Amino acid sequence: MATDTIPTVADLERPVDDVPHEINKYDFITQTTGVFKARKGLNREVVAQISEMKSEPGWMRDFRLRSLEIFKSKPMPKWGGDIAIDFDDVYYYLKPTEGQSKNWDDVPKEIKETYDKLGIVEAEQKRLVAGVKAQFESEVVYGSLQEDLGKQGVLFTDTDTAVREHPELLRQYFGKIIPPEDNKFAALNSAVWSGGSFIYVPPGVHIEFPLQAYFRINAESMGQFERTLIIVDEGASVHYVEGCTAPMYTTESLHSAVVEVIVKKNGRARYTTIQNWANNIYNLVTKRAMAYQDSLMEWIDGNLGSHLTMKYPAVYMMEPGARGEILSIAFSSKGQHQDAGAKVVHCAPNTSSRIVSKSISKNGGRSSYRGLCKVEKGATGVKSNVVCDALILDHDSRSDTYPYIEVEEQDVSIEHEASVSRIGEEQLFYLMSRGLTEAEASSMIVSGFIEPLVRELPMEYAVEMNRLIELQMEGSVG
Amino acid sequence: MSQFFPVGPAGDFADPSSTLVDVDDESIVLIHASGRFYALDDVCTHDGGPLSDGPLNAGDDPPSIECPRHGAEFALADGAALTMPATKPTRAHEVKVEDGQVLVRLCD
Amino acid sequence: MTATLPADMQATRFDAAGFEALLAARPGEPAWLTERRRRSWEAFEAAPWPSNKDEEWMRTDIRLFKLDKFGPSLGAAESIVGEQPLLSNGVELGGRVEALNGVATLSELDEDLAAQGVVFGGLGEAVTCHSEKLEKAFAREVVSPTYDRFAMLNDACWTGGVVLHVPKGVRIEKPLHAIARMAGAGASDFGKTIIVLEEGAEATLLMETASTDAESAGLHNGTIEIVVGRNAKLRYVNLQNWNNRTWHFAHQKAVVGREGQLQWTIGALGARLAKVNQRVALTGADAEAQVNGAMFTQGKQHLCYNTHQHHEAPYCRSDLLYKNALQDHSRTVWRGMIQVDEAGQRTDAYQRNDNLMLAATARADSIPGLEIEADDVRCTHGSTSGRVDDTMIFYAMSRGYTRQEAVRMIVAGFFQQVFDRITIDSVREALGEAIGQRVQDLPNQ
Repeated sequence: MATDTIPTVADLERPVDDVPHEINKYDFITQTTGVFKARKGLNREVVAQISEMKSEPGWMRDFRLRSLEIFKSKPMPKWGGDIAIDFDDVYYYLKPTEGQSKNWDDVPKEIKETYDKLGIVEAEQKRLVAGVKAQFESEVVYGSLQEDLGKQGVLFTDTDTAVREHPELLRQYFGKIIPPEDNKFAALNSAVWSGGSFIYVPPGVHIEFPLQAYFRINAESMGQFERTLIIVDEGASVHYVEGCTAPMYTTESLHSAVVEVIVKKNGRARYTTIQNWANNIYNLVTKRAMAYQDSLMEWIDGNLGSHLTMKYPAVYMMEPGARGEILSIAFSSKGQHQDAGAKVVHCAPNTSSRIVSKSISKNGGRSSYRGLCKVEKGATGVKSNVVCDALILDHDSRSDTYPYIEVEEQDVSIEHEASVSRIGEEQLFYLMSRGLTEAEASSMIVSGFIEPLVRELPMEYAVEMNRLIELQMEGSVG
Repeated sequence: MSQFFPVGPAGDFADPSSTLVDVDDESIVLIHASGRFYALDDVCTHDGGPLSDGPLNAGDDPPSIECPRHGAEFALADGAALTMPATKPTRAHEVKVEDGQVLVRLCD
Repeated sequence: MTATLPADMQATRFDAAGFEALLAARPGEPAWLTERRRRSWEAFEAAPWPSNKDEEWMRTDIRLFKLDKFGPSLGAAESIVGEQPLLSNGVELGGRVEALNGVATLSELDEDLAAQGVVFGGLGEAVTCHSEKLEKAFAREVVSPTYDRFAMLNDACWTGGVVLHVPKGVRIEKPLHAIARMAGAGASDFGKTIIVLEEGAEATLLMETASTDAESAGLHNGTIEIVVGRNAKLRYVNLQNWNNRTWHFAHQKAVVGREGQLQWTIGALGARLAKVNQRVALTGADAEAQVNGAMFTQGKQHLCYNTHQHHEAPYCRSDLLYKNALQDHSRTVWRGMIQVDEAGQRTDAYQRNDNLMLAATARADSIPGLEIEADDVRCTHGSTSGRVDDTMIFYAMSRGYTRQEAVRMIVAGFFQQVFDRITIDSVREALGEAIGQRVQDLPNQ
């Protein structure tokens, strides 16, 4: 991956021991009361009420109501995973606080403690990030942006604020990259969305440190539907990092985001996700970027948590010279199905893409790679390379690979390869002969297997990722 | 340039309507809207969905037809892709009415 | 040359009356078969056509396919001089079958093979004299007669296809050959082919199809069921070479038992639209299958081949290679799946698809897939798509070849990898020849 204008691991390097938080830090429940909770269920009244609570303009209310109809008219997908959601048994909107804070001290104590435990507050104090958004249930409760970036015209707000304060810019792109008709869950998000990040980077502005968002679902039977829109203007660059966690409840929760990204001429955007939802969360997300002339869009997507994830970040290369790179890692353990992947659509000549997917299935987990590489008519001189590797660690687990390759041009070079294998016995024997236990050896091999992703993460995420992998690997036998 | 193929009497196509017709072994959607006939490939350039099964937005500007699968819209007049997830036009063909018969000529 | 059909054949359609006419034309058939036909006919009448909402049919548009333009085969066909077979050229055959519009016109088998108990001939004829043996083979339902509406219609209305039954331990050295021809607009060829190799048996079967003229739209709706027994060995070649106006629908499946070996080569050149499911199931330990495919398309052809390699038992190997070259406005869809059950430990499975794009207006869809439920496996797939390298054309032209000759050589080179795997000289030559004839000049880039 190209890293010349986007901060690299080296930029962020610090001692590994300095990482503050513990591995089991996610599984705690914050006792909050919240200021407003829409009643369970999905209908026109609930959707209209969300819009009213947010004092939205009429066009957004109409957009939501239209999207609800689209959601109702679309069948559930027959592919991917088993989706057993009772849509009438979900809270679609839960407002945790009155208004958003610019100072952690103004955030209600119990919520601030949540983010303290997750290490967000400290990361910001140490200036490892250029801006922070913290979303708790349906609303962003805390937001900050380095002053100088604001002065350069960078916008980093929650999307609700953008609807009020930057309506023209927002309307130009909102729902244009992923229309509600696109799929059932994009329609659902379009109907009940709340929160998410809105980012605008003006021409030529490079944001050195990542902008970070932290999504937390705390309540039971909660649906979180954040909506993110990122616009990178000509020659600008940004790195956006999101983390997602939730405690474990007995009933399922639903997370269904829509993320739209525009990268204009010569711009660069990197979008990094470390998804560590609890194992009873349905994570059904649509992410799509449009990349214009000579721009670069990168998705780095790590999926470790959730009960079922269906997520295929896409890059549409709209103009000559655009590039798309997607790095996807999935780790499925007991009770988990990661149906993750990537899509690259070449709409213009001399565009290039690369997809690297690594998946690990263990302890009865199922990992699926599902991807698309499409070359549209007229997109000559296209190069695309897709590599998928899967590891299966035991005989209860399952691995699937479903790449779709559609070529409508002659002058192209498309390569795809995939392999599924187990941990090599020779490797294990070698490591064990050096004094490691079998579990340690397996863990080390898995770490090496996913190293290409970890290498691309900001340091604190890289360390966290390694710890999560170790935790997942505990007690496993190769 | 290929020839015109008859697809049926003009009176058989209500206004508004969209109908799948066979033109020289190709699936073409014949659209009758606001007094005009249009002919497009009955194929969404996004993933091949049948446009003839989708809603017709005759009153939109420009008038369009929508793919039932993911909502991509195409202009009736020239097949231009108007919304995501489609980015490429679908082919638009020449249509004329002669002696009450609708005739379609496939573009190359 | 356009052949004309008997008047009654043009009038008969695949409707209730047509079905009764078909039964009436087959008075000698055993009762179990007639009952079976009726069951499948009822299922067919009740079932809908596959929908373009089904994942399997999403890329293959059959809305322009009209069954009422075709009729069933009702009896003895007129003898029409057809194209010479391609695959058997210069081969000393152990037996041969020829059919026209789904009715056998010739059936021969070496006496010594017949004496060893080998059965080879048109299935429609054999089913009356080998009723008991074939009832068992039908009952295995290697291809499910209820899989979809095409399978139901085939099971109700089949007339053509061949049977090959090789008893235990019999090794047939000389290849066997079958050709199915179609003549006349509205003609159909509903083949059901059943191949059973008992334990330790060996055979080579070459099958091909041909249309007697280039313009008549015909309909093929066929099934092929193959059982390779323990330690048996089958080499099977299937060349689909209908004209470019024919509709071709087929369900094909092979089951390979313990230590059995199958080499299955498909050539797909013809048809306006082809939709083929080609499946191989490895059901016994240490079974092996090699699947080769060569597709070459032109005009507005649409060929969709779905392949499936199913590892149901441990220590099995499967190796699939499909090479497609596309011209003009044609489109190919190759969709392959390697499925490994939990029992399929120590599986070694491979699939590869390469597409050579010879025109900017062609389209190739390549959808390899893996579904793995065993942990001790090695499963790999690869897919590439690319164009002819201009420098190779310039080089060849600088050596005095015309542009078309140069392209022909490059296309031949592209398919060489498949040809290299075919161990039968006549097949290699026939495929190479048939493909060479279809190579057009490339438009100047």
